[in-house]
Amino acid sequence: MEISRREFAERLALVAAAPWFLEDFKPPPQQQQTQEPSALAKALAETVRLRYPDRFTAEDLITITRSIDTRLRQIERLYETTLTNADEPDFVYSVYRGAD
Amino acid sequence: MPSDDFAFATLVELGRALRQKRTTATELANYFLERLERIGPRYNAVVTVTRERALAEAAQADREIRQGKWRGPLHGIPHGVKDLLATKGYPTTWGAQPYREQMIEADATVVEKLGAAGAVLVAKLAMVELAGGKGYTQANASFTGPGKTPWNPNYWSGGSSSGPGAAVAAGIVPFAIGSETSGSILTPCAYCGVSGVRPTYGLVSRHGAMALAWTMDKLGPMGRTIEDCAIVLEVIAGKDPNDPSSVARGFRMTTSREAKFKIGVPKGADKDIQPEVAANFRQALKVLEDKLEIVEDVELPDLPYGAVAGMIIGAEGVSAFDDLLKDGRQAQLTAPEDRMGGYPALAISAADYIRALRVRRPMQRALDDFLKKFDMLAVPTRTTVASPIDKPFREAWPGFTGGANVIGPTNVVGVPGVSVPNGFGVENLPTGLSFTARAFDEAKLVTLARLYQNRTDWHTRRPPVPTP
Repeated sequence: MEISRREFAERLALVAAAPWFLEDFKPPPQQQQTQEPSALAKALAETVRLRYPDRFTAEDLITITRSIDTRLRQIERLYETTLTNADEPDFVYSVYRGAD
Repeated sequence: MPSDDFAFATLVELGRALRQKRTTATELANYFLERLERIGPRYNAVVTVTRERALAEAAQADREIRQGKWRGPLHGIPHGVKDLLATKGYPTTWGAQPYREQMIEADATVVEKLGAAGAVLVAKLAMVELAGGKGYTQANASFTGPGKTPWNPNYWSGGSSSGPGAAVAAGIVPFAIGSETSGSILTPCAYCGVSGVRPTYGLVSRHGAMALAWTMDKLGPMGRTIEDCAIVLEVIAGKDPNDPSSVARGFRMTTSREAKFKIGVPKGADKDIQPEVAANFRQALKVLEDKLEIVEDVELPDLPYGAVAGMIIGAEGVSAFDDLLKDGRQAQLTAPEDRMGGYPALAISAADYIRALRVRRPMQRALDDFLKKFDMLAVPTRTTVASPIDKPFREAWPGFTGGANVIGPTNVVGVPGVSVPNGFGVENLPTGLSFTARAFDEAKLVTLARLYQNRTDWHTRRPPVPTP
């Protein structure tokens, strides 16, 4: 089944979101080739390493960098939806007053 | 009722046996406790058998029933809960080695409600560690081992409610409570050949349940029939002051209505999926054809469901388990890939997370506008049968890249879904039929699924008896 670049990005996003999406959203094999992670992904992975400097092997850092890179590709779509200043997050903060 | 049939009896049948004094709550509890201890380990389905509590609750139920105090259809009925629900007196492990000794000395609201209805807690059931929130990519992702479907223990039970699915299918509990953030009830229902309801977000209190993603977690019943699930949902639904996201709505099973149901079948729902799954799906719709007006090839609004889900599960999940990252205990998780899970989400910016929450609001409206054109959507619950337990999910069934994207989007916005068994596929493994509807339309989903089960017998099939 042919899918568009946009659909592919969405599938990647879902794969990153949760593995139980996998069966519905497996990218076609020809589109699974790994790309070089972006400079931003590498920089963000470095912030994770700096936070926990003794925890990761070189292989772990590659995994983390790729995962961050996948997520960064999702973000583009988040900003395609038009929102206005009045569009609030879907939670409501409520003030608290305890017993007197 | 011969006692052998207790294992696969419905809640209505068990309740009738209790009322007619053909059995007692204590006899039922002992019967299922024995099965839990003998059969449960074959499927890695059980974390803790709650024997003392079960026998105490059963004895109380027997006293009350003898006195004519009847609490309702769950009175004296054994059940299990996924081990992410807090229960007094027993560990609540969240399926994860770092929490194996965790004691939470309070009952989750759902556990309290079931207790108040007279149900008897016999077990805490296995689950994928931390409900799968760390990104597991193969079945061996729990300290209890990979969940195995009773239909063939070489195959996965599905996750993350692996224990509830396997335990109901194997007849070692009459019903169970599972949880779903995105697919964790419906998937094990399909892979284990049982019925389940993923309620609307907020219909069932999450208080006392492990949080994976506060704004997406749902608790729901898994049982032998959809009617059983509805009976349980009637008990556990409703407002809880301890869960601000819970809503002041209950659930009541409605009587069957005669009108036709308008069903949307999403584009590609049965294309490029396992042929047996596709055939079972079409056959299921045929069984109901006199009750359905089917609209083919409907398309969900084109919105970034995956991006929103990824951001929300990532950000909320890493915060929910920040202590695990901080002290390094995440390295104790079973699945190697889970030990690295969460770290990438530390790089999510607050701005992007808030953006996802802002996008979800128009997304909710758009999906509701879409769903209101139909009574419900119908899809195969999963596009393949269960994966082999010894292969990564990606390699389990190569070549089946189709199907419609429904579980993801509907979980992001929190609308309800059901899954019922609708046949068997490769390796004689079960397949599932799923219906999804607008928020709080559970009664509609249950009505059609119940009609389907009145006309078929897939839900009565029993897995093969294992050789000792």
